[in-house]
Amino acid sequence: MNPYILTILLFAMGLGTTITFASSHWLLAWMGLEINTLAILPLMCQSHHPRAVEATIKYFLTQATAAAMLLFASITNAWITGQWNLEFMSYSLPTTLVTVALALKIGLAPLHAWMPEVLQGLDLTTGLILSTWQKLAPFCLLLQINPSNTSLLLILGLASTLVGGWGGLNQNQLRKILAYSSIAHLGWMILVLQFFPSLTLLTLLMYFVMTFSLFISFKVNNSTTINSLSMSWSKAPIISSMVPFILLSLGGLPPLSGFMPKWLILQELTKQSLAPLATLAALSALLSLYFYLRISYAMTLTMSPNILLNALPWRLPSNQHTLPLAITTSLTICLLPLTPAIITLLTL
Amino acid sequence: MLKILIPSMFMLLTTWTSPFKQLWSTILMYSFLVATLSLTWLAMPTDTGWFYINNYMAYDPLSSPLLVLTCWLLPLMIIASQNHLAVEPENRQRTYISLLISLQIFLILAFSATEMIMFYVMFEATLIPTLIIITRWGNQMERLNAGTYFLFYTLAGSLPLLVALLIYHSSMGSLSYLSLTSLPLTCSNLYADKLWWMACLLAFLVKMPLYGVHLWLPKAHVEAPIAGSMVLAAVLLKLGGYGMMRIMIILDPLTKELSYPFIILALWGVIMTGSICLRQTDLKSLIAYSSVSHMGLVAAGILIQTPWGFTGALILMIAHGLTSSALFCLANTNYERTHSRTIILARGLQMVLPLMATWWFLASLANLALPPLPNLMGEIMIITSLFNWSFYTLILTGLGTLITASYSLYMFLLTQRGPIPHHLILLEPSHTREHLLLALHLLPLLLLIAKPELVWGWTA
Repeated sequence: MNPYILTILLFAMGLGTTITFASSHWLLAWMGLEINTLAILPLMCQSHHPRAVEATIKYFLTQATAAAMLLFASITNAWITGQWNLEFMSYSLPTTLVTVALALKIGLAPLHAWMPEVLQGLDLTTGLILSTWQKLAPFCLLLQINPSNTSLLLILGLASTLVGGWGGLNQNQLRKILAYSSIAHLGWMILVLQFFPSLTLLTLLMYFVMTFSLFISFKVNNSTTINSLSMSWSKAPIISSMVPFILLSLGGLPPLSGFMPKWLILQELTKQSLAPLATLAALSALLSLYFYLRISYAMTLTMSPNILLNALPWRLPSNQHTLPLAITTSLTICLLPLTPAIITLLTL
Repeated sequence: MLKILIPSMFMLLTTWTSPFKQLWSTILMYSFLVATLSLTWLAMPTDTGWFYINNYMAYDPLSSPLLVLTCWLLPLMIIASQNHLAVEPENRQRTYISLLISLQIFLILAFSATEMIMFYVMFEATLIPTLIIITRWGNQMERLNAGTYFLFYTLAGSLPLLVALLIYHSSMGSLSYLSLTSLPLTCSNLYADKLWWMACLLAFLVKMPLYGVHLWLPKAHVEAPIAGSMVLAAVLLKLGGYGMMRIMIILDPLTKELSYPFIILALWGVIMTGSICLRQTDLKSLIAYSSVSHMGLVAAGILIQTPWGFTGALILMIAHGLTSSALFCLANTNYERTHSRTIILARGLQMVLPLMATWWFLASLANLALPPLPNLMGEIMIITSLFNWSFYTLILTGLGTLITASYSLYMFLLTQRGPIPHHLILLEPSHTREHLLLALHLLPLLLLIAKPELVWGWTA
């Protein structure tokens, strides 16, 4: 893509999210979300592949629907309460509508159906932007409203963890697996939203770090299916040996840092006397762990002594900057002992 | 104490920076040094409290035998792995040794943890190196399935444990072992508290393993390479027993009624898995089921909650750790020569390898709990405390002892006595390394005959 156009689009994405961050008026928040959506659309269909164009259209339709629902809810709130401020939504109908609209925006179950197909149509870098940056603005809004309907958030959260687990079990396309992993992690974030919002932010940031490592590792291997990952041990042996740890961290195994958000969320849920829900959410993480384990089996833990029957990928010299990958991988693996410091930081 | 933990952590650095020709000798010497230093933990002060305390790690008579066993096992694992790793490229050898060392670090932190969540995190942390060892260095295709079973059985049991510990923490305020005995008991009759009791124990029962949830163990033990089998049998199963002993303190008085079905299940498992052993064709599978059988007895002894039960459980855990690891090493000597685990393919070995037959003999005798070995002491104490609880358990435990003796003898006679099969044309003579390995397993066991107070636990 023309570098000037790319610059404008990336700046516009940043602008949209920043507007939403800085807003206290619902119209401004909505405007930021719309700018964000519109800016990423050209990035998504830049390859003009039919699947990419289909993904772009699906994304546009769902995000537009969500934004329209958001606008409708904020206008309803303005009609009832007479003010447009984000934080003072005191009636349940607008709040619930806003929550559902934002759930559609980020892809929580049962409003998740667009996510796997959209991610499948994108290349890995744009998919990364979709999974990470695009979630920031809706979460900023979710963290600021006071959700009045406890069970709605818990149902959204639990359904997301279960759907994210079960949906990913039958996939061998990496981008769809990453989509379901995103749905599952978003479920965990929503579970604790009304009790301890800082933990939502912590889970979101940890998820960003872990997903970034995973997406970039897959991009370095230039592979989008599990089968093509199996030759990565010869191209990039160190990355191959680190990816199982990233995957197990995404699955939430101690002592990797992916355990930190799960542990703190379970602690908060048990303090709120929601122990059966906590157990169910924890066990649903095992479903996701199964397909993470399968990817790590294919990539690192098995190695064919002979050449596989797949087409061998070219081992081209790579000029990729792997410093961000190195940083995020280190954070993904080693951050658990810093848990007290991180909690303090987030509850300041 | 830190003088064991920090050298273990730096052993990782040594693994990656040693010159390749001296790698195995260096690591072996280093780990022997750490193991010798760890023997100082056995010199316990005469009281039953905690000693060598810092904020996060402490030892008491329950955990120090297990810690010494952990530290002792690392040089043995390194000796055992040397042969089958010799064909691998350099970096993979270093990676394997790093996995073994990191496993030891997590185990030291687990056994010396003072707070339950620390124990939990380290308990789970031991899963990852073991999983990698089993699935990456195992030899058959079934190892992937074995790794999956191993990981998911243990995690499905331990996630409810995490929630249960967090519930206890939110109601009592502290999960430190040091203050557990002074916290009020959880007396209530709610169904939810019974579920909480179950959640606390399930992880350890799966890890031990209890008979109904033991399916991961034969798969994992059989598919793992020798070091994986050794560490699984010797130490990782004992993590389950140790955790159970620690958590029993907070589970009173619910345990009086609720433990009944599990004691019976454990004893039934002793008989069932013993009977399965008599019908096995796979040598490692036989030893794995024998492990389930012994650990069933340990589980019953712990659930009884008497001093003799706990002492018997601890002694049996240590003795079984050494014995089972020795048996796996012996099975590995067979495997390295014939590349098969089928028993009948390597029979009558006393004719060919007579010195190895001595070790087979000693290990089989230890497995069937011959006096005066500590295996017998553990079993007798558990059987006595079970008899005290109820007379009828004697039927089950007596039958279990009989079946244990028969399959141990069966294993010995089938592998060592009788004519050699005609297809065994060329068998390497026993290496000195193998003799050293087995001597280092069985010598501590023989020395423990003289002073079992070292591993008696609290009730010295």
